[in-house]
Amino acid sequence: MDARPINFTLNGQPVSTAIEPHRNLVELLQRFDLFGARESCGQGLCGCCTVLVDGKAVSGCLYFAVWADGKSITTIEALDANGELAPMQQAFVDAAAFQCGYCTPGFILMSQQLLKENPNPSDDDIRHYLSGNLCRCGTYPEVIEAVKAAAKR
Amino acid sequence: MIPFDMVEPTSLREALSLLDPQEPTIRPVAGGTALMLMMKAGVFTPTRLICLHRIEPDFSRIALTDKGELRIGAMATLRELEKDHNVASRLPVLARAMRTLSSVRVRNVARVGGALAHGDPHMDLPPVLSALAARISVAGPNGNRELPLEKLYAGYYETALEKNELITAVTVPAPNGRKAAYMKVTSRTADDWPSLGVAVTFALADGRIRDPIVIVSAATEKVTRMSAAETALQDAAPDKAALQRAGDAAADEVETLSDAHGSAPYKRELLRVYLRRAVREALEENAH
Repeated sequence: MDARPINFTLNGQPVSTAIEPHRNLVELLQRFDLFGARESCGQGLCGCCTVLVDGKAVSGCLYFAVWADGKSITTIEALDANGELAPMQQAFVDAAAFQCGYCTPGFILMSQQLLKENPNPSDDDIRHYLSGNLCRCGTYPEVIEAVKAAAKR
Repeated sequence: MIPFDMVEPTSLREALSLLDPQEPTIRPVAGGTALMLMMKAGVFTPTRLICLHRIEPDFSRIALTDKGELRIGAMATLRELEKDHNVASRLPVLARAMRTLSSVRVRNVARVGGALAHGDPHMDLPPVLSALAARISVAGPNGNRELPLEKLYAGYYETALEKNELITAVTVPAPNGRKAAYMKVTSRTADDWPSLGVAVTFALADGRIRDPIVIVSAATEKVTRMSAAETALQDAAPDKAALQRAGDAAADEVETLSDAHGSAPYKRELLRVYLRRAVREALEENAH
């Protein structure tokens, strides 16, 4: 099927492109050289493809690219756009809350969303909110530590 | 995914006119989180999807009716349902079920109507809302109809909906003090597809269970109301012996299916045990 024109805001900048209905949001972002959202499981289970659409976290692998039309899309690349790490990124560094780093963009975006909704989450709240993010290196204890540290800052 | 066309009608009427009762490769899409999984797995290859995002915003509204019923627009996201203050205060069993329903990201995107119409027996909303005696409003080319949600499920991924019908709303009656619980068993992570779901609601009068509704999901080919278990619970004082009889009745009355989440005999034993636990949880959760 033919690509169709879409216009949206990408990390604060208005952009336009054309894309086919069968492409997903991760594929759309790759066209803009944004590789922080990665399609890993492809089933919405692992969280590596986390992207914010109008301020809400979605799995980019389960979101049609054409649905970005008219929306505001935020990716991990927006967080240090001013040259400084965002507080959540710094907290992950300080707590060594990653090993290979493949899942980290998703964890950081989700953790930011959590603190926006719930500024003082319990361990249980953190575990529930991040249950859809998988870290094959097993850095879960450090992730929880990082989120709690970020909440205090 | 294999290329297909997508159209985005701006009204329910237009969406209905674009559906084709004879053409299974044309389907409506709401949040798309379940449908895309089928498409990625190659079990569904559409020629055209009818996207419902741009239909009238009224179909996303969640509001109390003047009868005290909660009317949930079919295009409301699962997250909107989870966060709704009427759900929190009046239907806590529903709010609790949402917490382990997939992930926040899926709940941000998936829609209530899609979760019901998909017909996947492993989903959480069908058993919980069925036990709450919810009714669905269905629109089609010849007008509207309403049916109890429990009557929607016809088989494995099969519903009583025609291919040119759409769910427009779900209406949940006022709870009127009925006790409710939903328990699911996952054999891997907490938010995984379950091996078993059990939802129960009942009234309690003079220490006895009245008018129970007992629903099983995930372990069976479709969301199923368990009448033998209900008969065992009706007018019973919820003591150990009565719960045991109800659990045994449930285990005897349905056919469980083997899959990656457990064997049929394993799920039968889960049902026997978790039916008892669900009734106990319903009694305890509402005690305070």
